[in-house]
This record gives sequence, C-alpha cells and structure tokens, in this order.
Amino acid sequence: FRLNIDGLLVYFPYDYIYPEQYSYMLELKRTLDARGHGVLEMPSGTGKTISLLSLIVAYQKAFPLEVTKLIYCSRTVPEIEKVTQHQIKSLSCLTQQLPGSGPLLQKEPLCRADSLRFGKEVDGKCHSLTASYIRAQRHSDPNMPVCRFYEEFDAVGRQVPLPAGIYNLDDLKDFGRRKGWCPYYLARYSILHANIVVYSYHYLLDPKIADLVSKELAKNSVVVFDEAHNIDNVCIDSMSVNITRRTLDRCQTNVDTLQNTIQKIKETDAAKLKEEYRRLVEGLKEANVARETDIYLSNPVLPDEILKEAVPGTIRTAEHFVGFLRRFMEYLKSRLRVQHVVQESTPQFLKDIFDKVCIDRKPLRFCAERLQSLLRTLEIADIADFSAVTLISNFATLVSTYSQGFTIIIEPFEDRTPTIANPVLHFSCMDPSIAIKPVFQRFQSVVITSGTLSPLDIYPKILDFRPVTMASFTMTLARTCLCPLIVGRGNDQVALSSKFETREDFAVIRNYGNLLLEMSAIVPDGIVAFFTSYVYMENIVASWYEQGILENIQRNKLIFIETPDAAETSMALEKYQEACENGRGAILLSVARGKVSEGIDFVHHFGRAVIMFGVPYVYTQSRILKARLEYLRDQFQIRENDFLTFDAMRHAAQCVGRAIRGKTDYGLMIFADKRYARADKRGKLPRWIQEHINDGSLNLTVDEAIQLSKHFLRQMAQPFRQEDQLGLSLLTLEQLESEEMLQKISQIAHQT
Amino acid sequence: MDEEPERAKRWEGGYERTWEVLKEDESGSLKATVEEILFQSKRKRVIESHGQVRLGMVSVSMEDHDLKPNRLTSTLKVDSAAQPSRCTPVGIITTKNKRAEKLTDLAGNPKKHIAALKKAVDTVCVGEPSLYNSLNLAIQTLKHMPGHTSREILIILSSLTTCDPANIYELIKTLKSLKVRVSVIGLSAEVRVCTVLTRETGGSYHVILDECHFKELLMLHVKPPPASSSSECSLIRMGFPQHTVASPTDQDAKPSFSMAHLDSSSGPGLSLGGYFCPQCHAKYTELPVECKVCGLTLVLAPHLARSFHHLFPLQAFIEGPVEELQEDRFCQACQGELKDKSIFTCPTCRGVFCVECDLFIHDSLHCCPCCIHSQSAP
Repeated sequence: FRLNIDGLLVYFPYDYIYPEQYSYMLELKRTLDARGHGVLEMPSGTGKTISLLSLIVAYQKAFPLEVTKLIYCSRTVPEIEKVTQHQIKSLSCLTQQLPGSGPLLQKEPLCRADSLRFGKEVDGKCHSLTASYIRAQRHSDPNMPVCRFYEEFDAVGRQVPLPAGIYNLDDLKDFGRRKGWCPYYLARYSILHANIVVYSYHYLLDPKIADLVSKELAKNSVVVFDEAHNIDNVCIDSMSVNITRRTLDRCQTNVDTLQNTIQKIKETDAAKLKEEYRRLVEGLKEANVARETDIYLSNPVLPDEILKEAVPGTIRTAEHFVGFLRRFMEYLKSRLRVQHVVQESTPQFLKDIFDKVCIDRKPLRFCAERLQSLLRTLEIADIADFSAVTLISNFATLVSTYSQGFTIIIEPFEDRTPTIANPVLHFSCMDPSIAIKPVFQRFQSVVITSGTLSPLDIYPKILDFRPVTMASFTMTLARTCLCPLIVGRGNDQVALSSKFETREDFAVIRNYGNLLLEMSAIVPDGIVAFFTSYVYMENIVASWYEQGILENIQRNKLIFIETPDAAETSMALEKYQEACENGRGAILLSVARGKVSEGIDFVHHFGRAVIMFGVPYVYTQSRILKARLEYLRDQFQIRENDFLTFDAMRHAAQCVGRAIRGKTDYGLMIFADKRYARADKRGKLPRWIQEHINDGSLNLTVDEAIQLSKHFLRQMAQPFRQEDQLGLSLLTLEQLESEEMLQKISQIAHQT
Repeated sequence: MDEEPERAKRWEGGYERTWEVLKEDESGSLKATVEEILFQSKRKRVIESHGQVRLGMVSVSMEDHDLKPNRLTSTLKVDSAAQPSRCTPVGIITTKNKRAEKLTDLAGNPKKHIAALKKAVDTVCVGEPSLYNSLNLAIQTLKHMPGHTSREILIILSSLTTCDPANIYELIKTLKSLKVRVSVIGLSAEVRVCTVLTRETGGSYHVILDECHFKELLMLHVKPPPASSSSECSLIRMGFPQHTVASPTDQDAKPSFSMAHLDSSSGPGLSLGGYFCPQCHAKYTELPVECKVCGLTLVLAPHLARSFHHLFPLQAFIEGPVEELQEDRFCQACQGELKDKSIFTCPTCRGVFCVECDLFIHDSLHCCPCCIHSQSAP
C-alpha cells in the first residue's frame, strides 16, 4: 500500500507495517535529504531490508536526478541470495507501479560461460581468451581458441540493453545462455545501467576487485552496507598482505619466467619494449586525466600523487625492473630469516630496505603499476600464475605509499607451534578508514545498517566519517518474545567466567556443563551454544566427556559440533536441523566469530535457546591486534579496553541475535559469564536486547535461570495469532496514521 | 471436591487481574496478552461445541526421567477426574523407554481405566518416549473403527524429545489419510514436531501454564470437537439392561460370573445381581459395555443423556458490552452485579448472564435456567 513518509510517497508491498519500519524509513529519508551518511541499527527480523529498498526506490522515483542508483552490499553470497529471493516478490509489485525501475542485479564472478569452467583457474583462462591483444591476434590467425560467448556479447550485447526486470545470478546465466552471451560480461556491463545493484562488500571495498567492477558507478548513488557490523574487519582484510616463504618461492619462479619472456621478446620484437618505455616516460597521464574528471572510484592502492608523476628511471626498462624485483625479493627473504619477532613501522622498513639493498622509496611506489604494464606488454595471458609476484608488488606499493596506519610484523613461527619454523611477514592495515575512504568520498549517501551496531558512536570513529543520522531502533512486541538471562553463578555459587585465570578451573567447567545439561532438559528442539574459541571449546568438551556430563546431555538431545572445516560444519548443521525437525532435539556447539555465528539463522525451532559461554574477546596476545589497539588509541583516542569490549560485545550480540529472526519467533538468550552483568558490558549490547534485561535477570544461578526459562517457554507456547499483534506491533495504514501511533513511533528511534 | 471452589476462585482471580493489567499497561505486557488469549480460547470452546457422539481414545504419553514425580502423579489425578464424564470408548497407551505399551484397551467403561491409571502411578518413568511407536500403536487400534466415529488421539506429552525408529512425517501422512485427529497437551514447552502433527491432522496443541490450566485444557478435550462433515451417520443398536438384584432370601439365586471379568483375572469374581443383556442375558456388573456374547452395546439412560448434551448443545450466548444493558445490571443466574465489561445474553429468552455463569451453564448445566423457568411457569 502507499505510505506518506515525510512528504514522500512510498509503495510498501505488504498490507501491514511494523511501527519500527516506519520509523526507520523516516530516518533513512532524513539521511538522503541531507545527502550525508547514516548509521542505523534495527533488530533482525523486523523487515530492515524491505523498508530500505522500498524507501530508496520511492526516492529514486521522486528525485530521479539526485539519486540514480542504489548499491546494496551485503556480506555473504547466501545473504545476497536471500535478499534477491525475498525482494523479487515484493519488488516486482513495486516495479509495476514504478515503470522503469530497472533491473536488480546480483553479480558474482562465478558466472562465467559454461565452456570456461575450469575450477580455480577460471580467471586466467578467461583472460587468456578474451584479452584485447589476444583478440587482436586472432584477426590475423583465425585458428586460435575463441570464447564464443564473449564474442557474441561484444558484437551485439552492448547495444541492446537488458530488458527491465529483476535478475539474480541464475536468471542472468539463463539469459546469457539463451542469447549466447557471456553472463559475466553481461553482468558487468549491466551494472552500469541498473537502478538497483545488489552485490557483496568486496566489490566496493577490496581495491583489487573494486577497480574492475565498481569504478564507473555514478557519483550520486546511494550505497548501503547491510549486516555491516564487521565492516571494519572487511576493510582491514582488503588492505592487508601476508607473505610467507612459499609466496616468495613462487614469486621467484614468476620472476624467472618474466626474465625469460623478456629475453625472448627482445630477440623477436624489440620494438615493443621500446614502445613501452616511451609510454612510461610519458607517464601515467591518461589515468590522471580520468581521475580528475571524476569518472572513476579512486583506487586506494594507487594514491593520487603517483599518477601525477612519471615512472622513475630506475625501473623503466624491463630488465631493470626485473632486477629490481629480484633485489626486493632477496631482501624480503633475508628478513624472513629472523629468529625473533620483529615489529616495525613502514618508514623504518623503508629506511632499512634503502640501507641494505639500496632501493629507494619512489620506485617501490610504482612497483604495482609497472608490473601491470610489463605483463601487458609481454602479452602474458595467464595472470593467475602471477598472483605471487602481483602480491609482492602490491605490497611494495602499499608499504611505500602509506607511512601511517600500517605496521609490519615478522613472526618466525606461530605462537602455538614454537618449534616449527614458519616465518610470516604480516603487513597489516590498522586503519579501516583507508579502504573505505574512497567510498565515503565518492558517493553522496552511504548507509551502514545492521541488527547489531551498538554502540553506534564507535563506527563513525573507526571508519572516520561524519554521519548525519545515527539511530537505534527497538522492536515493538505484542509479547516479550526474547528472554535475555545473565547467568553469573553456578548452583554452588562459583562465579562463572571464561576469564583467563579461571579458564581451566574445574568448577567453572563443571558448572557450564550443568547449565547446558539442565537447559537441554527444558528447552524444546534446538539449542545453539557458543564458545569463545575453538581451543576453549575443545578443552571444555573434553573435560565434559571425562566428567560424564556429555553422556547425560546426550540423553536429552543430540550434540553437533562446529569445526574449522567448512564441509564438516555444513554436514553437522544439516543433521542438526534434521534432528530439530524430527522432535529429537539437538545441541549445536559452535564458536563465536565462526561460520555459524555469522551467516546462519536459527529460526523458530532451530534455535529456541542460545547460550553464550564466556565473553568472546579476541585473542589479545596477537601482535597484529596489539598493534591495532595501539594505533586506535593514538589516532582515535579509543582506549584498548573499550575497543576490546566493543568487539566482544558485538560478537556476543551477533551470536544471540541468531535465535530471533522475526516477531513470531521466540528464544532464550543466555549469557553465561558474570562479566556480562557489569554496566560497561551490558551497555554495549544493542538496545533491543538491553531493553529486556531487567534487574531480575542479572547474575542468576543456574537454578534460577532454569526456573525463569521454564516459565518463559510455557508462556511463549500459548497460542499466538496475528490479530494479537495488530495495533501493537503490526499496523494497518489507518492505524499508522492515527496521531497517537505517530507519537509512539517517534519514541522508537533512539538518537545518539 | 473440597478444593474445587477454591481453585475456581484462583482461576477467576487470574483473569480478573488481566483487565487491570491491560488497563495499566498500554504497551501490552506479556501476562496480559497471554491471559487474554487464554480467555478467548475459553470462549471459543463454548461457541464451538456442536458435536456428535464419537469414539475417541486417549493415549497418554507418560513421561520420563527429568520430571518431578508429582508431574506424573498430578497428570494421573487430573486425568482420572476427566474420564467419567464421557461415555465413549477410550483406550490408554503409555510410552517410555523408547517403547509404547497399551495400558487399557479401547472400552467405554471408565472404572477400569481409572484403576489402571492408579496402578500406573507407581511405575517408574525411564528413557525416552517414542511418539512414533505410540502413534503407530494407536493407529492399529483405531483403524478398524467404523466410519461414523471420529477417531481421535490425545497425547499428553511431558517430554521434549522423542526417540523414533523411522521418519515420523510419513506417519503423520498416514494419520491424515485415516482422518485421525491428533491433539497434544504439552506439559513443558512447545515442540516443533507436535506443532506439525496437530496442524496436519487438524487437532489442537496446547501447553500448560500450571495445574489449573492443565485441567482446563484436558476438560477441553472431554467435549467432542465439531465432527467433520465427511463422517457418515448410521444407526446403532443399543440395549438398555435392567439392574436386577436377587434378594438373598431367594433360594434360586446363585452367584454368577460377570462376562466382563471372564478374561481378566482381577476384580470381583462372583456376584448375585447385575445387568443382563436384553438379547442374550449375559451378565455384566458395570456399564457401559459391549456385550461379549452378542455384540450389543449396553448403556444406561443417563449415559445417553450425557452424550445428548454433546449432540444438541446449548446455543452459545451472545457476547456484548455491558453498556448495552439498560435495566439493572444483575446476572440472571447468580444475582451478582455485572462488573466485567462484557455480558452474555441467551438468544432464546434474552436472559443476561455474567461470564462465570455463562461458563457454568455451558459446562455443567447444559440448559439455560431462564428458559426452563419460563417453560415451567405457565
């Protein structure tokens, strides 16, 4: 139906609307009006995505010149899949009302043409068939292999726009097959014309991919990062480089191949190298021009200054450059031969490299660009083989470009296995704002949203941007369908905690076991239990086994365990769901920050209770983390403890949030650690959980928690129908427009 | 029976508080909502009671290890209280330790069931129950029932888990095709498989809040649910035997065995008097029963009268706001002042009742006191 949101007519595809959705749309509209960035937190299962999409689509229609495109980024492929699935129905009714709303696109590099499916090497093979010089060669020599799909697309596809509609991966593949076009290039091309693009974070954040896919997106797009509670880690990952000995070995072979090819070309086609030389002298002017006209999303790997200068003389000729690479590699090798841990800043590293092998900062900065140019000139088609040398050159460019925000840590061995030498050079980004800065700068509105973003003020700080709106929404409920309990003591009054000192304590482990045992007896169907780490889980489960607790639990429910192995985990998950479905009941033991805690929802009977054993702090002894904490303190005035708690609590919230996926759902949330009861921890939970923690549910013993849960589960099992929700947490249009309701709605959003 | 009024009062207090809570708490607190829902369901049961005589059976899934012993005991107590008020054949099945056992066969005589249940109080509950096995056993018994009967299974399940030898969803399909209605009363929490089971077979699923609520829920099942239109109608031959007691002075009178006790070793063996089948003169000490010799159903008139209520139930009273009432606001039955915000009007005599009396009339009296009064007055 149609809604009037602050003067904007929004088509909402459902008959009823949650009050918080209305409130959310109001805030979103404010953000768009101000052309600024926003941080919005709304509980999962309250229709965040649909309100987001319907508002922005309506906005697009109302102001077609101001907002041309919606770029919706989510984290994982299944989540994206879910968005398109769920939105297709609702949006198709929108698109009928809004002619020309255009295709909703979802893109993944997997969708190469079928003839090109070579597993991992798809990239390289594809490149070898479709690179421009290969195709040029083919004109003279028609016997060369050819990608039919790409040729076909190139011939006609660009002129014919994709018919308006909604496409997901399969649709595109289908479409491509019917027309005989390469779906990958089709997708890449249609992104430019789509009104709504749905894809993964990495296409926007990872500089390597963003360059290919996203650089031509229009400036007045709205970018939405959904499930963005981990966005800082994604940013950091995309800018960090790890170099091991194996990388260097492979790099060595790469350089050798380069050398050989250069030699060969020199004998056959010297003019080509000369041509390249000339081009480099002229500098990277073209790129510079492009950047100035503001066509491209700037690539953070390649900062502005580089483009204004020409490639320095020392690496202009191909042989010199290869020699340069060799020297750089030798240097890295020597650095990896250390016996103790080394940590240094980038200027230190540069100085050292200058002293030892006389490599200046400037040529290092051009390393990545120069390598690209060389590969192009040498007509090496199989880029995949050269990943190692590309990595090294990227590293060289990064290390010489940024003097701040990065650190270099060389570890001769892993902490857990101090006897096995496995040197690793971590080049770690500590400042997530570096990767995301171009996004904030380029697009007029960036919205960061998730179910768990509390405390809100920390995100703008670490991502270094200034939001115009920051709001946290609660869930309006007709019945209290979530029951957070903080269990602080065992039945024998032993304090429960996963803190380092009591971690091995027998009494604590036994009490944790008792908690799970008693819970397994009173909670129907599925229970999900989260531990702080794999090691901790293994320890506890082993000692439960010895004490016979495990056996007792198994009488009530089956037990499944998440492992670092993805295949094993998904198998366990499948069986877990089957057991829940059949009424046998099951427990899934998993790890916070693991795969289960991030992407998998436990709706209804799949997760009637979530137990969080301990506070999921990160491994604080890690040097990378330490460096990052130090950096955060120096640069952003965030105290180490604040950040650690923030990080732990967002993961805890993420874990327990898995159980509630909607208003008809219900679930217990059990925080089994006495530290949760403290105000600093509790205050960092999302508002929609915090609201339901009253004083009566703090620092409970196991027995008390069991009593409360029993009562809760019985209450929740009473019949609950949609009519009961109406008017309270579910509104029709008339109800929405009543004065009283509008007043209530204004209280839902909690400005910070 | 002493605790009965006291219970009722507690229950009454329970939902009178509801209104207060609702008034105070605009955001819709949990208690208010849940209890209001309960209240609605209470009303529903009065409205929906248009039944037919049916055959039913109770399969009591008694519970296992984790339970307080009094849960089982109280279940049995409540259960046995519920039995006598229906005159339909009932059988009891128990399940424990992954097996299902038939406690009593399908029979109309409540005494036997109560005795069996009383005996069951002492049994130990061990191991997991098996929903599949007990349903399977129930199906085997119910399969042979004639088409005019409605087949029902009521499961009282305290466990949260079930240990099944095969896929239970296949069994649910079979149940559905046999038109067996399965209802579940959960004693601890909502279990997914029961939700599916009841939804698929058209039964109801309830979870108890406390003992009173449990009793209410169980009583809900004592009333036959509306019969499905597909069930056929047929005439049943019935015998109404007379109870004859031979005077001890009569020399011809000889003590004889009751037919019902022939196969079971327990119970009194020889007695002087009894009910004699009008067709074949077989003797029975208790009714209702199916004649072992000629297969005639033997009942007493009061039994039929009780079923009659289910056949021709009193029409549901019309609910209306108290403001509609112009005259003095007194309940016609209890003469108390009408305080609640809704009143109930009999559609035939326009008598006005409070919610308590409305429930009492429909549950126990089965006729409107005002209507009877007006019939007998002239």
